[in-house]
Amino acid sequence: MAEQTHEQWLEELATDSRRKQEAFMNDIAHKLKRPRVLEKPVHPFRGAPDFWQEYEWTLEERTQRFTANFHSNGGHVSHLSTMDEAKQFIKEKATELGARYIIRQNQPELAEMKLEEALPNVSLSVWNSNENENWKARAAEADFGVVVADYAAAYTSSIAVLSGKDKGRSVSLLPTVLIVIIPLERLKTKLGEILIPLDEAGRESLPAGIHFISGPSRSSDIENDLTIGVHGPGVVYALLVG
Amino acid sequence: MSAPTGTKVPPTVKGRADLALNDEFLRKAVKFTTERLRNGKHAATAEHGNWEEWRERGRQIRLHTIAHLDYYLNLFADNARANGVHVHFASTAAEAVKVSLAIAKQVKAKSVVKSKSMVTEELHLNHALEGLGIEAIETDLGEYIIQLAGETPSHIIIPAIHKNRFQIAELLSKEAGETLEADTTILAGFVRKKLREKFLEADIGMTGCNFAIAETGSMVLFENEGNARMVTTVPKTQITLMGMERIIPSWSDLEVMATLLPRSATGQKLTMYMSGITGPRRDVDADGPDEMHIIIVDNGRSNQLGDPEFQELLNCIRCGACLNACPVYRHIGGHAYGGTYSGPIGAVLTPALQKNVGDWDDIANASSLCGACYEACPVKIPLHEMLIYLRRRKQEGGHRDLAEAGGMKGFSAIMGNSGRFKGVVKLGKLGQRLVSRNGEIRLKLGPLKGWNSYRVTPSLPKQSFRDKWGTLEEELRHGLNELSPDARSRMEQLVRSREQDGGGHGHG
Repeated sequence: MAEQTHEQWLEELATDSRRKQEAFMNDIAHKLKRPRVLEKPVHPFRGAPDFWQEYEWTLEERTQRFTANFHSNGGHVSHLSTMDEAKQFIKEKATELGARYIIRQNQPELAEMKLEEALPNVSLSVWNSNENENWKARAAEADFGVVVADYAAAYTSSIAVLSGKDKGRSVSLLPTVLIVIIPLERLKTKLGEILIPLDEAGRESLPAGIHFISGPSRSSDIENDLTIGVHGPGVVYALLVG
Repeated sequence: MSAPTGTKVPPTVKGRADLALNDEFLRKAVKFTTERLRNGKHAATAEHGNWEEWRERGRQIRLHTIAHLDYYLNLFADNARANGVHVHFASTAAEAVKVSLAIAKQVKAKSVVKSKSMVTEELHLNHALEGLGIEAIETDLGEYIIQLAGETPSHIIIPAIHKNRFQIAELLSKEAGETLEADTTILAGFVRKKLREKFLEADIGMTGCNFAIAETGSMVLFENEGNARMVTTVPKTQITLMGMERIIPSWSDLEVMATLLPRSATGQKLTMYMSGITGPRRDVDADGPDEMHIIIVDNGRSNQLGDPEFQELLNCIRCGACLNACPVYRHIGGHAYGGTYSGPIGAVLTPALQKNVGDWDDIANASSLCGACYEACPVKIPLHEMLIYLRRRKQEGGHRDLAEAGGMKGFSAIMGNSGRFKGVVKLGKLGQRLVSRNGEIRLKLGPLKGWNSYRVTPSLPKQSFRDKWGTLEEELRHGLNELSPDARSRMEQLVRSREQDGGGHGHG
């Protein structure tokens, strides 16, 4: 008998799955005692209540609330005026904490910073900048991961990072310390301002990973005692720039 | 102490609760933790404001989705497939296990790292994987601890709620091969290092699913530790097991769920991580799984559809707020419920999923029907009413207590006839002379045993309400006939003045 390839195996499963899908949906309709719903139903309660849709803070309030919320989650926040100040901040932290390996996203804002020149004694790698590297391993060994946020929401102090060729999910996850630069114009009031556009963008434009980060990794699983840095970064610096 | 592996677990809720009540640490820990979570929820919902409106919105979204589940689930499956996900459907636990094992075999997996998933607990999947010689590692800190202990979760949010740090240090020391101090930071530090290696070498990452977004085929995970992100980022193959009812229509609806779930579960504004995964890694990406499978599991869920009493069970978002609010759960802990899900939601969900109301009847009775679970529920599931429906179904299904049924029959015969009632009371008055002291009966024998174990029965009074009725009735009639002269003149005065005013404004 010829060896079945992985693709053939997957195809077999897919055929099975499609058949089962029909049965599954028909069973649901049958149990709901009505015919199958094939047209998009009217959803009168989509999303947050109306009063919430209009809720908005001024930039100053957003900055204050983000800072307060992120602090109470155990994170650190610095408000800086320019990217140059952010570069200074990273340089000082790297020296202070003795960072030897840093990984950064391959984002233009970070390239312009020229961190490599500022930190000659640090091994700095740029995510997915060549094909033959084991990038997950590079992120896992890093002391610092440096990323620029796509968005942030002040109400819950959540930073949104979207994955892509130049933006690894590992960079905000595997290093011991995470440094996130948030350009102030990307700081929104509430989550909905980031989530609703994802609906508008549609399935085909979504990246594989959309991650909201609201502070350092934590757990209270041992006797309710708060532990920081269980699996993800235990130290998170949010740099509000602008 | 909670029962270690191999110890016989009592077959009834009462037996398991007795075990829990004898364990002082467990009782204190459960009380402390549930109070902490409950207070956190109160503070978070008060700070957020308009909580009732958010609850109602959450309920409406869940009701709408479940009422059109065939449409939304179908849409989700089609979109997930378009994203490159391999979607599978499993009607039963056995089918879900079969698909999971087939994938594990196909990719020649040696180890599976898992983030928290109640569905896999339902399926006893770890056991099945181990049967194939595949190591299955729970990576949520609490889940990892109870896996080492060979136990099951006792709280949906804090699974190792019943273990103290010394027990945990002992378990982890055995794993480490050296003695670890019973210090939270040291213990968590060991787990971080140990599991980091496991994440990096695992062939499969396995997750549950908090919400699945129909319109884009994305799955969403809420967590604090980062282990769910690890599991969905590092291994080559990802398998997600989701209950068929986890669906919400859109990301816009996720805003409502993200408002309700963390606040209700732990009092957080949002968990430290909320991740939306849309398909396997793109060709150009350097991390994320190469291959992603989603197994959609029924396992008794669809039996609630079209059942007016239980359909709302499918609205549950698994926050655990009803456990923290429940006075019974707070005393007996999760293991006493004997199923995968504990607390009020478990008391209803377990028999509902398994369709064996009779076998689980005592769970429905382990509730005071106070309604605290309903008050706490972020999507307003009337759990306390469902507990009554369960009790009724148990009766209708013939799973009744013969002694209780006989007792009720006798009670009805006596109460239905005043002569018989009088006779029985008379007998009781005579009989109680033997056992009554100072108006109290403390005898713990026969029918009085259950009641008098924790309470005192008052003795029948010399003169009962019925004995006094003749006199009472006489007094009432007499009093009504003869109005005192004072009152009469006051009332006459009132009527006269009203007539003079022309009776225009009666409602002063």
